[in-house]
Amino acid sequence: MVKVTMETSKGVITLELDSEKAPVSVENFVKYAKAGHYDGTIFHRVIPGFMVQGGGFDTDMKQRDTNPPIKIEADNGLKNTKGTVAMARTSDPNSATSQFFINIADNAFLDHKSPTQQGWGYAVFGRVTDGMDIVDSIEKVKTGNNYGHQNVPLMEVIIRKVTIEE
Amino acid sequence: MPDTLFISDLHLDPERPAITALFLDFLASRALEADAIYILGDLFEAWIGDDDTGSMNQAVCEGLKACALADTPVYVMHGNRDFLLGSGFAERCGCTLLEDPACIDLYGRPVLLMHGDLLCTDDTEYMAFRKMVRDPVWQQEMLAKPLNERRQMAQAMRANSREQTGGKPESIMDVNSDAVVRLMTENHVQLLIHGHTHRPAIHDMDVAGHAAQRIVLGDWYEQGSVLVCSADGCELQSLSPA
Repeated sequence: MVKVTMETSKGVITLELDSEKAPVSVENFVKYAKAGHYDGTIFHRVIPGFMVQGGGFDTDMKQRDTNPPIKIEADNGLKNTKGTVAMARTSDPNSATSQFFINIADNAFLDHKSPTQQGWGYAVFGRVTDGMDIVDSIEKVKTGNNYGHQNVPLMEVIIRKVTIEE
Repeated sequence: MPDTLFISDLHLDPERPAITALFLDFLASRALEADAIYILGDLFEAWIGDDDTGSMNQAVCEGLKACALADTPVYVMHGNRDFLLGSGFAERCGCTLLEDPACIDLYGRPVLLMHGDLLCTDDTEYMAFRKMVRDPVWQQEMLAKPLNERRQMAQAMRANSREQTGGKPESIMDVNSDAVVRLMTENHVQLLIHGHTHRPAIHDMDVAGHAAQRIVLGDWYEQGSVLVCSADGCELQSLSPA
């Protein structure tokens, strides 16, 4: 297990990453964190009752450069339950780079069903161990359309620093 | 090539599960690869308030949320059936409600989007009904009623609508050409996309001396219908249920 401290403009969120069940996703997250990639990014997509997503855009909604996408690990048995952390991606199952999301509800419809484009689901690689109240406060932020994106917090929620506890 | 998808008149209804399944499949496949999805009215056969979280509504909401998560924005316009769709629905399902009419930029081309009922100006009876149900005070009073009462009222309204529609000449229920030209001229567009009439077609026309088009989306009764637009143009396509 890898412990992570995420300092946000709303408070501190502590994560525990499951390097046993999601080794590729955890290594990927750690690599971005150690490179300082997440520092100064925002939670750019917030859908109440669903999830909060971040780790890809800076405060000007400019997308940060990323490493090549990683292999999906959604078939690792971890479920998209409340408080879990999963890799965000596009319609291509193997397209995740730096962005992640925190489930703020039990989102069973995001779980792995089959190794098909429609059935892959989203790879859970960790969970919030402390600071779920901070996640809840992010969920409550008012959202709107911004820079051509939907569900963007109108008041920025910034990830100030992500630290890997060695 | 990147494309944008337009659909309307799905009239999703728990009594027609095959069409709901077709739509959910569309959201989980074709829609996820699009630049954006525009649903131009009557996504639902009836919408009695954002507090109606029945299983079909939940499943549709999950499909829309999955689009949002995969970076495909979804825009939803009210129709003559689901005019009570509110901000609660949009917020919960991760989509954006569109005004009717709405002007968008489609690969550099200004396009006017409508549900289409506003264009049926010859149907004066419907236009009076529309004015009533779009009145914010009427809507507030309606939404203040208990869910069961709203459900019964919606059923009565649908039955009444079917009865009235059955007795009306086809021409009255189609768009009024003058209303089309006026709205396109006012909005400085040469392309109008709308649904409502369930008469899918691409009509070439002239608006203020310019070649223009009116594209009518198809309904989702026997099959799915989608307008696929890229920088090269637009094409109406059908989707077959499983």
